[in-house]
Amino acid sequence: MNQQSQSTFPKFGLLIGLVVMLAAVAGVIVVLQTNPFGEQGSGLPESFDYDLAKYRKIDPALIGYQQTGEIALAMKEPRAVAVGPEDRIYVAGDRAICIFAPDETKLSRIALDDQPQCLAVGRDGGVYIGMKDHVEVYDPSGTRIADWQSLGDRAVLTSIAPAEQHVFVADAGNRIVWRYDTNGERLGRIGERNEKKGVLGFVIPSPYFDVAMAPDGLLRVVNPGAHRIRAYTVEGEEETPLEWGERSIGIEGFCGCCNPAAIAILPDGRFVTGEKGIPRVKVYGALGNFECVVAGPETFAPMPTSTEETRVPHKLKVIDLAADSEGRIFVLDPDARRICILEPKKEDSK
Amino acid sequence: MADSDGKIDRRTFVGNIVRAGGAIGIGGAAVALAAAKGRLGDAVWQIDPDKCIACGNCATYCVLDPSAVECVHNFAMCGYCDLCTGYFEPEPNALNSGAENQLCPTGAIKRKFIEDPYFEYTIDKSLCIGCGKCVKGCSAFGNGSLFLQVDHDRCAGCNECSIAVACSSRAFTRVAAGDPYLLKGREGNG
Ligand code: SF4
Ligand code: SF4
Ligand code: SF4
Repeated sequence: MNQQSQSTFPKFGLLIGLVVMLAAVAGVIVVLQTNPFGEQGSGLPESFDYDLAKYRKIDPALIGYQQTGEIALAMKEPRAVAVGPEDRIYVAGDRAICIFAPDETKLSRIALDDQPQCLAVGRDGGVYIGMKDHVEVYDPSGTRIADWQSLGDRAVLTSIAPAEQHVFVADAGNRIVWRYDTNGERLGRIGERNEKKGVLGFVIPSPYFDVAMAPDGLLRVVNPGAHRIRAYTVEGEEETPLEWGERSIGIEGFCGCCNPAAIAILPDGRFVTGEKGIPRVKVYGALGNFECVVAGPETFAPMPTSTEETRVPHKLKVIDLAADSEGRIFVLDPDARRICILEPKKEDSK
Repeated sequence: MADSDGKIDRRTFVGNIVRAGGAIGIGGAAVALAAAKGRLGDAVWQIDPDKCIACGNCATYCVLDPSAVECVHNFAMCGYCDLCTGYFEPEPNALNSGAENQLCPTGAIKRKFIEDPYFEYTIDKSLCIGCGKCVKGCSAFGNGSLFLQVDHDRCAGCNECSIAVACSSRAFTRVAAGDPYLLKGREGNG
């Protein structure tokens, strides 16, 4: 009996040890297979992937510009860029306007009481600054000379275009362009929805609604939700035949729900457009024919929208554009807090 | 939807507050609801929508199948776009509800014409598995009005949420059971 139990006991102990070891190994395998920390991904089939990588790649043959300069901005939140007389570069952000010479040296700074949303510079050097609900005007020396009346709580000013005798102010909140005289008197509204007359109005899903004066004397207004650019006389009459734009994620069109987010006009009347979502800057002919890419997503700091990540609503940073009398293009890259200066590639560098 | 006592059920309640743009008034009503359930002071799991990157793990790591995580839509933030990038594939053939044009693999998003050129998008919760694909599409181009939340009608209230363990963005957080949703656009939350 004794002998028998002595010989069974070690075997039994060995068996228990083996079972415990196997269980431990099985446990480790199960843990590894179940991937509790999620490092091996969701395991969802490919149909659940959302991938814009192929749309982000730009054919190098389509890129007609190269970066020739850069202005680093000492601003936390740069918002807008504009070009004024003598090709001086104006940047709005934080609570200030910074002014740079064409050679990128800093000239001066205008301190503001609040965060600017947009800006434009008139031919006389007057600086028009769009706050959330009103326009402030500064003379070339940086002295505030006018504070236009508030446009109310709904107003979200996004762009300003000064002309000879008018100033046009894009208001994404009210979905119209305000027409002012240069003294700040409101003369009218452009593009208001009027169902009886079959006017759909501007479609502005997010607060990116740009305007610019073209050398042909017509105002250009982006209708972002329709992916179109409209033309208006300074009296506010629409020039329908001059409307252009195509909705497409392909390079020749405007991508996403609403684009372009920004436009600028070259001295010869051609258009520069900037898109959000897939940050890309392109040049179109004066009639809207696609010409070339100025810069693609690889040029810009990754923006929340360019990484397909969710983001804090209404705090999206989007590129802004301006062009000088030489045809140089200025792109505000807000996340990198810099202005990229781009010029057409020379024949031999293509 | 009202139950036999005339009370609004929790699912409808959440739907309504999200529909209304979410934020205003949720506090008091949700606390009252939680008090009625006797859970006031308890904490439950929820997703911080500003930290979530819609990685897909919410669909597969929940102990429940389908997951307790679902997409919600804050209508107050939505642009009612014709081309909704949360609804359509990046390169749709046409802007219609053809299955080949839809981004959601389960067909959980419904598109309804409102007035020219605006459309409303609603989530059919019975079809949504919380994969986050539409969230990515909406955030990539749009206003980010689609986002993920743990549906507390369904969540089992695990002590250790297995999605929270697998969430590389640390988007899962404990919130008061009396105020269990973190809605975008809400004060202090974006
Ligand atoms: S696991 Fe985290 S990051 Fe991924 S979808 Fe869920 S909450 Fe978002
Ligand atoms: S794409 Fe995914 S998260 Fe969005 S509604 Fe469909 S199943 Fe839900
Ligand atoms: S607590 Fe449990 S049931 Fe709720 S979401 Fe997490 S894993 Fe799913």
